[in-house]
Amino acid sequence: MASDRLLRVFRASVVALAVACGDATEAAVDPATLSWDGVEAAARGTTVRWRMWRGDPSVNAYIDGWVAPRLLARYGLTLRAVEGQGPEIVNQLLVERGARAPGSADLVWINGETFHNLREANLLYGPWAHRLPNAIYVDSAAPTIQRDFEQPTEGFESPWGAVQFALIYDSLRTPDPPATVAELARWIRQHPGRFTHDQGFTGTTFLKVALYALNGGVTAFQGGFDQERYRRGSGRLWMWLDSLRPALWRAGSAYPPGVAELHRLFANGEVDFSMSMNQNEVVTKIRQGILPTTARALLLRDGTIANSHYVGIPANARNRAGAMVVANFLLSPEAQLEKLKPEVWADGSVLAVRKLPPAWASGFRAVAAMGAVPADSLTKYARPEVAPEYHERLAADWRTRVRAEPP
Amino acid sequence: VTRTRFPTAALVAALPTLAGAAYAAGAATGLVGYGAEGFSLDRIARVLGESAVWRGLGWTLATSAAATLLAAAGAVLLAAVFRGGGPVDRAARALAVLPLAVPHLVAALVFVLLLGQSGLLARALHAAGVADAQSVFPVLVYDPRGIGFVLALAWKELPFLALLAFSVLATRGPGLEETARSLGARPGEVFRRVTWPVLWRGMLPGVVAVFAFVAGSYEAAALLAPSDPLALPLLTWERYTDPDLSRRADAFVLVLVGIGMGAIAVAVHEWARARWAPIDE
Repeated sequence: MASDRLLRVFRASVVALAVACGDATEAAVDPATLSWDGVEAAARGTTVRWRMWRGDPSVNAYIDGWVAPRLLARYGLTLRAVEGQGPEIVNQLLVERGARAPGSADLVWINGETFHNLREANLLYGPWAHRLPNAIYVDSAAPTIQRDFEQPTEGFESPWGAVQFALIYDSLRTPDPPATVAELARWIRQHPGRFTHDQGFTGTTFLKVALYALNGGVTAFQGGFDQERYRRGSGRLWMWLDSLRPALWRAGSAYPPGVAELHRLFANGEVDFSMSMNQNEVVTKIRQGILPTTARALLLRDGTIANSHYVGIPANARNRAGAMVVANFLLSPEAQLEKLKPEVWADGSVLAVRKLPPAWASGFRAVAAMGAVPADSLTKYARPEVAPEYHERLAADWRTRVRAEPP
Repeated sequence: VTRTRFPTAALVAALPTLAGAAYAAGAATGLVGYGAEGFSLDRIARVLGESAVWRGLGWTLATSAAATLLAAAGAVLLAAVFRGGGPVDRAARALAVLPLAVPHLVAALVFVLLLGQSGLLARALHAAGVADAQSVFPVLVYDPRGIGFVLALAWKELPFLALLAFSVLATRGPGLEETARSLGARPGEVFRRVTWPVLWRGMLPGVVAVFAFVAGSYEAAALLAPSDPLALPLLTWERYTDPDLSRRADAFVLVLVGIGMGAIAVAVHEWARARWAPIDE
């Protein structure tokens, strides 16, 4: 009978699926036993699956249209970018380990609390980053590159880009923008309903910028997580937010879910500020026609948070050698310079210009001059991230202390 | 197919849900997953003790019920008005089911762009000369009352329920109505005593399915629902992606709440069906 046949087909496919899942363990090459030439040789002809945030067309175009073809031409390596960011990467790897399944990603794009989660749960392969030939160019003196949210990277992730938090405003609508956190608070009170922050990573980073400023600077929170310092510091932040809340967008009763929605509110004129974890995003978003041409980046003089983002190799990755070759190419002056161009992505370089061959160095200086903010102001106002627990607690406490408490 | 085979087939159909429910129960009670430390009901007690969970659940139930009822009412109206065989009625029926092909995500986005305070309607108001249209226009996106959310989902579910209503009326209506008329019933009486009972009993499974789907769907809530109270699907995803790894298993408690909600809807449906069986000709 038809339903009988259907049932048999179903049973057979369940069995086939189980066999396919269990059998897929390729013999993973351990690159630790190979020379760099050996790593490149082992990578030839393989595919690297890179789990990364795919939400920005300019990033995707750089990866798919510029990086991937060069990897194929030079190393015979196929790069496949797949969707997944932050917590999704961690959950995917936890589930794969629980199911004893081979890895579905060879490379992951991570930083901060994701790196913290992955290290905490022992989900990263390493150390490997120090073995990359292009690692000699990395700006190892920069505290925001060597340490990821105060965590030593210990070779378990390789730096890829460096960014700094900035507010975004429209120079036409707000010709005289506030320059400090205190001035911003005054501006918000004078312009009710014209400012808000999102509920995601960028919004929490904004809260952290205010947290530093309200507590005499980042030094109050450096040196690991401290419960008492968090309690006192965040207390000031909640008081500050409570006093501002009636003047926020929708009187602080609703917040945009993510920074993309905040950009939309800003571009449509519902609010006068947006924000970004990349000071140059305003330049690329203007080029894409998403933000008005009069939009500008704004660094608050109390200091804004600078951090880096990295690539890591999951402990269950099947193609570690290939992943290392990709990470090395991403660190090459050529790939870093391309990424820095405003018309490409405008993502900050992690290389030290002084360490580069002179021909490359001048190229970097020329492109950096096209950024949204002068390089010396960036350095001057850059503040490092603190221990990831501060970020985690701020995010959780904002949800219960602010969002779930109607104003 | 003989009757004894039926449970096997049903089990196969239910397998993905049962496997998911079993895993969620294990993860919620500390038996499986990251940081599992053996059986304990502490997590369930803690999560169910949060007012945010109950307010989110209440919001989800209320808005899903409103969207489902609105869509069902629209479907009944369309089916009752455009039931003839003429070209106008046929064209109307075809047009009514057209949005069936629109993905939920697109439907939600259309409503954001339409109903936002900087959306098309507010802009039209502005163009029509209303000064300060943005603040005059009602808050419909991220609105705690969920009006935008209800409208978007009602619009999206209407074609499915309309399709159902059309086919229920076409297959079960005419004969019984003819009989009623031949027994001397007036048009209003025919609708009240024949058409309406046939319609609602035939549509009930579809209405329950729509309610369960709407209550569990993520896309429209992500784009249109308020940040407080946080809809159950949004709260579930937020916990599953919490920066603090130890809180992620909270999501599985919420998954169980969601499954429970669906189970209650099905139970209510079974009870209603036992009491008021569908009317066949």
